[in-house]
Amino acid sequence: MANTVSRRVFGAGALATGLIGKTASSFAQGEPKRGGTLVATWGGGEPQACYVPAGGGSSPTFSSSKLFERLGRRSMEGAFEGELAEAWKPAADFKAYAIKIRKGVKFHDGKDMTVDDVIYSIDEIWKKYAAAAAMTDYVGGESPDSDTVIVKFSKPVPEFFFSSLLCGGVNYIVPKHVYAGSDPVTNAANNAPIATGPWKFKEWVRGSHFEYVKNDAYWRPGFPYMDRMIIRYVRDPAGRAAAFEAGDIHIGVFNPVAPPDIKRLTGTGKFVATPKGYEESVWSTSFECNTRNPIFAKREVRQAMFHAVDRSLIARTIYYGYARPGTSPIFSPNKEFYTADTYKTEFDPKKAAALLDTAGYPKKPDGKRFTVNLLAAGWFTENGKIGAIVKQGLEDVGIVVNLTVPDRPSSIKRIYTDYDFDLAISNQANPSEPVPATTQYYTSDGIKKGVPFRNASGFHTDEVDVLVEKIKVETDATKRKTLVVEFQKITTREASNLPLVEIESITVASIKVQNHSNDPNYLASTWYDIWLAS
Amino acid sequence: MAGVIASSSRRVAALRLLRRRLFQAVPLMLGVVVINFILIHLAPGSFLELMTAENQVSDPATVELLRKAYGLADPIWLQLLKYIWALLHFDFGFSYRQNMPVIEAITINLPATLLLMISSIALALAVGVAAGVVASVKVRTFWDTLVSVAAMFFFAAPSFWLGIMMIVLFAVKLGWLPVGGMMTIGGAGGGVASVLDILAHLLLPTLALGLFYAAIYARVLRSSMLEVSQLDFVRTARAKGLSRNKVTLSHVLRNALLPVVTILGVQMGTVLAGSVVIESVFSWPGVGSLLFDSVSSRNYPVVLGIMVLGTLVVICANIAVDLVYMWLDPRIEIR
Repeated sequence: MANTVSRRVFGAGALATGLIGKTASSFAQGEPKRGGTLVATWGGGEPQACYVPAGGGSSPTFSSSKLFERLGRRSMEGAFEGELAEAWKPAADFKAYAIKIRKGVKFHDGKDMTVDDVIYSIDEIWKKYAAAAAMTDYVGGESPDSDTVIVKFSKPVPEFFFSSLLCGGVNYIVPKHVYAGSDPVTNAANNAPIATGPWKFKEWVRGSHFEYVKNDAYWRPGFPYMDRMIIRYVRDPAGRAAAFEAGDIHIGVFNPVAPPDIKRLTGTGKFVATPKGYEESVWSTSFECNTRNPIFAKREVRQAMFHAVDRSLIARTIYYGYARPGTSPIFSPNKEFYTADTYKTEFDPKKAAALLDTAGYPKKPDGKRFTVNLLAAGWFTENGKIGAIVKQGLEDVGIVVNLTVPDRPSSIKRIYTDYDFDLAISNQANPSEPVPATTQYYTSDGIKKGVPFRNASGFHTDEVDVLVEKIKVETDATKRKTLVVEFQKITTREASNLPLVEIESITVASIKVQNHSNDPNYLASTWYDIWLAS
Repeated sequence: MAGVIASSSRRVAALRLLRRRLFQAVPLMLGVVVINFILIHLAPGSFLELMTAENQVSDPATVELLRKAYGLADPIWLQLLKYIWALLHFDFGFSYRQNMPVIEAITINLPATLLLMISSIALALAVGVAAGVVASVKVRTFWDTLVSVAAMFFFAAPSFWLGIMMIVLFAVKLGWLPVGGMMTIGGAGGGVASVLDILAHLLLPTLALGLFYAAIYARVLRSSMLEVSQLDFVRTARAKGLSRNKVTLSHVLRNALLPVVTILGVQMGTVLAGSVVIESVFSWPGVGSLLFDSVSSRNYPVVLGIMVLGTLVVICANIAVDLVYMWLDPRIEIR
């Protein structure tokens, strides 16, 4: 059991360069050891608040998810399981769901969790902040008895969609007695949360760490195993690698160290690295074409952009093999909806040139076709490097490229407010449920000027809009999958916004750490069963 | 009697200097506020855009509402006037990202930065002066060469690289010192143990930040001392039969320190800037980390607050330097 083989396919480049080292030992070895302190980190900075009702990005999601819990969770096998809910089932018309609430759950301040907390969370937190885009058809909730909450919608809601909602993002159950009557966004409890999870907030030393302690009244008997958890923030990846080596950090999620350091750390035999635990939050680096530009309004030009770029090269050189070329807006680890049977945007410069010729942009006597402004969003350093490869690829087919790499706020403004780009290299993180996280990049209602991480390309057709509306309300799982497959065929053919590469996020952990990477969104899970071997 | 008069006159001159410098600080501060305010607002993107991105605000009406609530709907000159007016009332504004007053966000981090700055400057002065004295006294010897080579190395080595190398050597390989942070998480036991714990955490960042300046001081002091040691009053002191150490420390060093003190005043700002990098490498929970985060998130109120407080620190340091200058050389009357 020491070295289980990862079930996800690693990039060929990684295998070729031997970067993987060891795969994860994520399952318990023997009897769990109780007590001790776990020190964890992640591949980013400190959050703006311990808990942000609207999510606030990966950092507050990481810090808050150890304290709060959701109604449900997804297993590594893909099954939906109850957490704060014991079960849920749809009404015959799928316009309502009955949620059976778990009894005996207490908040950290000793108060019981009730149906009122659940209804408050859905009405005031999910609907307004945490899952606003997904809850447009939500009508209201009611509690016929002290164990049950009925959640009502104006349209039929597919079961997979609803279950994903219960398990997703920061759709936590918050204490009504703490949040009611306040502005949830500015509530002081966001920096010292009271929740139901296995860990209780103890202290936040700003600039350094969070300290959580074991919740002795946790509803799962016997959990958590450990007495204390520290979430430590080390800004510099090299500093994180050193902290791992010095034994100061036990586990780091979401690429805590630079790829070359993964090989070095795992090579010592004291650490494991695994891509497991990101199946419900797959990241991609995407290519967005601004269809407001008449050149990119032509489908052939958009397709040509993808054919001109060697995405295997990006995966190998920029991500050291921890990535693979993307083929569809539904990412390949998505077992429910992914299909490979789509328009193929493989690397083929000759095809790119032919498409550009067909679109009416042949090479001029100087060898150039037209000029594009390529914006590589600077929130990830890799994007700028990818920009250089894209520039090279496009210039090889006669397109002059002006590459800029603005910082995060500038990138957000230029892409989503000013639409000041022809091509943008951006990033998306998508769960398995495609509505709305994935579909909003292709629909008319996803075009919202000034609202980031929506449809910035401006692409929209009635065909896609109608199709997505059908996906939203189709309650038959088989028919729904057929519709999503159709969605992928259309969007890959239209090529307004497609992944260049799907990124392998990596968790690095000491071999002492047991029961890790055992949730498809591990960064955002509670870590209730983690323990440290001697 | 003459000594008392001279001492009293120096005090008056010092007070006059202090008054003049404080008076000059007002337009300087105003300039710093105006220039920084404009520069920050010229940068594309705002904290509102970042906030709406992080919070997935999808309703344009809500975005507009927030824009008004945060005063971003006002013209920039009005925002500036409001900010200056608030500053006059010691109100540095509110950090919506941290959900707390700016002054609170800064003061949480300020002690760590001040500790790092003071320790780095102290180290730089101690090592730089000692090395400069040795190099000048042992000029054109092995010791002079050693100081020159070491000074060249620490001057040329980027502080972040030096920091990482020291972490690898002293924290990872040898295990003598902690990798980062300001204190052992969970506490070192309190009292003396806590002080020692903080000192252990402080040592590497202090070395990484301070050795660069020590190199400068050593080089400057060496040449300054060689120059001063050729002057007539030094020859006179030697002729009077004073010991070599007495001549070197009381006469040569005191006069040779003037350029070092000048550089020290100028470098207060750069030490503060350097701490941004060092704090990042060593996870030191100071203002540098806060500034980095705030610039990245366009958290204008915090950035401006740090700039204003940083300017205050530099102004105070320069006033102190002027006073030290007068103390070192009573002939100098700074205007």
